[in-house]
Amino acid sequence: MENPVIYMIAELRMGCITQETYELVRFARVIGKGKKPVFLLLGKNIEEQAQEISRKTGCEVIALTGNHLEHYNVLSYAHSLMEILQEEAAAWVCLPHTSMGYDLAPRLAVLLKAACVTGVESAGEGSLSRPIYSGKFTEEIVPKTARVVVTVLPGAFRPCEETAGRAGSVKVMKAAFIEAPSQTLGVAESAHRDSALKDAEVIVSAGRGIAKKENTALIKRLAAIFPRSAVGASRSACDLGWFERKHQIGTTGQTVSPRLYIACGISGAFQHVSGMRGAQTIVAINTDKHAPIFQVAHYGVVEDLETFIPVLIEATNRTLLSR
Amino acid sequence: MPGFLIPGYHRLPETKGYLGMKVLVCIKQVADSSDTLQIDERTGHLACAANTAFRMNRFDEFALEEALLIKEKLSGTLVHALSVGPERVSAASQRAMGMGADHGIHILDSADGYMSPFTLASLIAACVRARNYDLIMTGVMAEDTMACQTGQLIAALLDLPCATSVIKEEVQPERGEITVEREIEGGSRETVVLKMPAVLTIQPGINFPRYPSFSKVMRARTYAQELIRAEDLAIEEPREFCRRVRIPDAASEGVILEGSPREKAQMLINILHEKSLLS
Repeated sequence: MENPVIYMIAELRMGCITQETYELVRFARVIGKGKKPVFLLLGKNIEEQAQEISRKTGCEVIALTGNHLEHYNVLSYAHSLMEILQEEAAAWVCLPHTSMGYDLAPRLAVLLKAACVTGVESAGEGSLSRPIYSGKFTEEIVPKTARVVVTVLPGAFRPCEETAGRAGSVKVMKAAFIEAPSQTLGVAESAHRDSALKDAEVIVSAGRGIAKKENTALIKRLAAIFPRSAVGASRSACDLGWFERKHQIGTTGQTVSPRLYIACGISGAFQHVSGMRGAQTIVAINTDKHAPIFQVAHYGVVEDLETFIPVLIEATNRTLLSR
Repeated sequence: MPGFLIPGYHRLPETKGYLGMKVLVCIKQVADSSDTLQIDERTGHLACAANTAFRMNRFDEFALEEALLIKEKLSGTLVHALSVGPERVSAASQRAMGMGADHGIHILDSADGYMSPFTLASLIAACVRARNYDLIMTGVMAEDTMACQTGQLIAALLDLPCATSVIKEEVQPERGEITVEREIEGGSRETVVLKMPAVLTIQPGINFPRYPSFSKVMRARTYAQELIRAEDLAIEEPREFCRRVRIPDAASEGVILEGSPREKAQMLINILHEKSLLS
């Protein structure tokens, strides 16, 4: 069989091409067998961004434009993309596993009668590997169809290096308009930004594993022993009402890169890790020695934090006094 | 071209003054903790220890709570809870009824192995296609398989509009619309208006799920759930399969500190001190 075409759906956020878009190139190289992948970009005025992708990656770019594509909408995007995608009987369609990617991928898969594999972190030997149970296990999925739709976990692949070679060709096409039963009105920026997290050199962060609201005091006490520190939290700790939203770190919260990050009772699902993997030193404290957070931590402590944090604080004070 | 443009076969009740809706919540039952799961070396798949406890997927609790809030706001609204799986999953829709759902549907599939999101969504779509729900809701993902597909696939299979990661919703029953905010990267919010019938996948944090009430739990116990056999539903072949489950490749170069809590604390302090992270 002829090699399938590999399409990559580019993503814009506030008009800028996301890093996740460039990560797709490396994924395409892993699954690709010689065929040069093609980027598809959708939007209103996007020629500049299309040129940027072709220049940086050397890939061919097809830009689909239209007023109705100004904001992401699953139905308008799917309709426009299908004009291109349905041409190929065998194809891979790759998207980032983001609020756009996981929203759009299943719709495209149904329209294309394709297998749909989401949240993929690696590929090889005919299968796609994806973390399950917050990363404690990995499952290997084998697509059985000629068309396959995949979403790639942010951060699983490095963004492609900028090519020194020739830019890819750029084709701009007008996308057909449809009256869809859903309409995206616009995007509002988060009201929960905390500059304390951005400026902190040390962040002590808590997850569901701290077990109860009273233990937030322990987290604050631990943070207080460091100068220029701040308290962070995982999404589920915020959902439980243990911390205010402005403390949330991760995909839907803030992205931080402090000198030291201490993760307490955080399992380490990618939604959290993608917001803190840039920290210089990562310490994880968790009772579950198999917790995925230990995969990203430089130093791990397998202890109950109700026991360990008081010991740590006391030992710190003792050390500080004796120095 | 795909026919998702005209979802014509459902309509809101036309009776004057009646604004109640039919809402379906799809609920997955998951293992309470992954500690009781192990890879069966013989099959290459996950096996549950006999003492495995199961519970409702947390993300679906938020979806169910949101449906119940709609029911409280719009009198006459009915909330149905649906689960797919072996006998044990009937406990999930029973809990849902304990929280306030009006009716439980159990699609019984005794093969307790890997089920692809496509097969799962196909079963649900085949079951509910003719049932005229105004809203179908589910959690943004399942805690165990983390696929983020089920709601979107159901919507695509039924030709319905869909919004994922919904962190706020407002029904306009008189207009047959629902306005939602999707929580996207960095906590930004995208506003989408959908014509009903529609599918929503609910983001955690949208509400605080209630606990089942004793009286409702007692009533739910006497109430017969609707049982549908998976093999009676006509669905397409799976499009992917799971070859095996394995332990993740150890990418970590991290150090696990050993010793008593005191020794570990002292080691950590020394490391942080060396790195000038602690004065």
